[in-house]
Amino acid sequence: MDAQVEIQLIAAVVAIACAIPGVFLVLRKMALISDAISHSILPGIVIGFFITEDLNSPLLILLAALMGVITVVLVEAIQKTGLVKEDTAIGLVFPALFSIGVILIAKNANDVHLDVDAVLLGELAFAPFDRLIVSGTDIGPKSLWVMGTILLITIGMLFAFFKELKVSTFDAGLSAALGFSPVVLHYGLMTVSSVTVVGAFEAVGAVLVVALMIAPAATAYLLTSDLKKMLVLSVIFGVFSAIAGYWVAHFLDASIAGSMTTVLGLVFLMVYLFAPNKGLIAVMYRQKQQRTEVSLLTFLLHLNNHEEESERHVKHLNEHINWQKVRSKTVLDLAERNNLVHIDKNIVSLTIKGKEFTDLALEYIITNKDEKIEHMKDDFFLFRG
Amino acid sequence: MSDSKIAIRVDDLTVAYNFKPVLWDIDLEVPEGVLMAIVGPNGAGKSTLIKSILGIIDPIAGSVSIYGKPYDKQRKLVAYVPQKGSVDWDFPTTALDVVMMGTYGKLGWIKRPGAKQKKAALEALEKVGMLPFKSRQISQLSGGQQQRVFLARALVQNAAIYFMDEPFQGVDATTEIAIINILKELRKAGKTVVVVHHDLQTVPEYFDWVTFLNVKKIATGPVKDIFNDDNLTKTYGINYKVAVNQ
Repeated sequence: MDAQVEIQLIAAVVAIACAIPGVFLVLRKMALISDAISHSILPGIVIGFFITEDLNSPLLILLAALMGVITVVLVEAIQKTGLVKEDTAIGLVFPALFSIGVILIAKNANDVHLDVDAVLLGELAFAPFDRLIVSGTDIGPKSLWVMGTILLITIGMLFAFFKELKVSTFDAGLSAALGFSPVVLHYGLMTVSSVTVVGAFEAVGAVLVVALMIAPAATAYLLTSDLKKMLVLSVIFGVFSAIAGYWVAHFLDASIAGSMTTVLGLVFLMVYLFAPNKGLIAVMYRQKQQRTEVSLLTFLLHLNNHEEESERHVKHLNEHINWQKVRSKTVLDLAERNNLVHIDKNIVSLTIKGKEFTDLALEYIITNKDEKIEHMKDDFFLFRG
Repeated sequence: MSDSKIAIRVDDLTVAYNFKPVLWDIDLEVPEGVLMAIVGPNGAGKSTLIKSILGIIDPIAGSVSIYGKPYDKQRKLVAYVPQKGSVDWDFPTTALDVVMMGTYGKLGWIKRPGAKQKKAALEALEKVGMLPFKSRQISQLSGGQQQRVFLARALVQNAAIYFMDEPFQGVDATTEIAIINILKELRKAGKTVVVVHHDLQTVPEYFDWVTFLNVKKIATGPVKDIFNDDNLTKTYGINYKVAVNQ
């Protein structure tokens, strides 16, 4: 395999391995915890490196994962005192652990291949140089084997415990009552996340690994209301950004990890703007529609309340309901298009359909019963809550 | 009383948050087949009592038994409806999927729900009148509909004892009637139902058993015998009438 293909393959595997736990972190509103873990694993990696002198040793991963879990334990312990909130606790714990790692490197590892830059940003381009050699045969880059193993374990856990993860993420109380200990699941997820971060940090660094965990999940969240689809979409976004990021870096001659994260950010921005339901533009459009429909309802109620023709003259609507001209025309058109009113010699009257609609709407406003207006929800945004 | 079975027994239960007792030396016996309200002012420990019976909160002293055995051994006999506000309704899932979660307990770890569980979930949705909404994302449901989905999730557990934490919180009148009718049906079928309840006015109409709680247990027994001014004053203080009229 040539180095280019190998780098893309590693990037894709890292992206998938990060995206899966990322979905659950985002849904549990624990995105910040991944940031904390990605920094506080440093002392674990440094100590492991001093013992083994090998950046790919499994001991490094174990010690670092342990540090990740310790981070979570410390954050929760500080939080439990009730003196500070969770975000403060996170802000206290991870810089402390990270700085211990930084000092350890500065004091002891100045002349070896482990520096703060590499820890923060990683370097995917060098990954293919470090080969895994089994009885004299080169079987590929070491980091591909490490990340591949982590990915397989992650996928295995996901398939085995999907239902448990789902119920404990959605409703920890029910999960506990049913016998699926939320504490066990929480620490299981934290362990998998820690191991993934450790495996990924060499490729993309401690800062950018957070983006790989959180951005794909956050993007997918805007597009679907199904957990399984959210997982699949996260994986697709992660892999797409990894490959696209590689080629951006290739043509710009820039950092691969930096380009990957930039692509992730752009993908998120696009989805944030254009997602069909939760996107910014869709939300703004919906709000505009809702404003128009509230006006429509006000207009219909006005017609319902007034028999006299002077109150129902097209020209007088502006004054009586106190709208701007443009608004009145939009509303009048909307009402006519839906056959709710008819206009005869500039006098507006409710049609039978319009009368029924107004009565239903009135009843809904008074009783707030949802069942009666189910069929209206398809035509109008207003009642969709 | 002595000849009927005891569904839930609580002995000397004490629960504390940060060394401050929230429940203090609670003794409680709930006979099988009653529809019981737990009433008390805010902070009286009503939800905490349910949660410690269900092992969600660890007590610092005391014990709980369900039909004579610890809760751990009797999970499958018990269904639980948490407060609606305790979960994130923006979670990416549908009404049907939430009801399916009720079947997870009997499945145990790793095993996945199949056609049988889906059928049971659909029946439960039908019972609470939510079948037409089965595929709807849960954030698109009204408060009352969300509460009914929660009730369906408990029904699908097909338990002997049902615990519900404020099922009438923030629901419309139709849903309230629908829920209480289902609870009464459960009682008719011999099930035991325990409800954390806020609205004192409806206690005599909805329930046949009541427990007054304010950190300590004030009284427990049949509504017709103990739901009186004396116990209300002991539980809510001198101004309990304000609480009734809220």
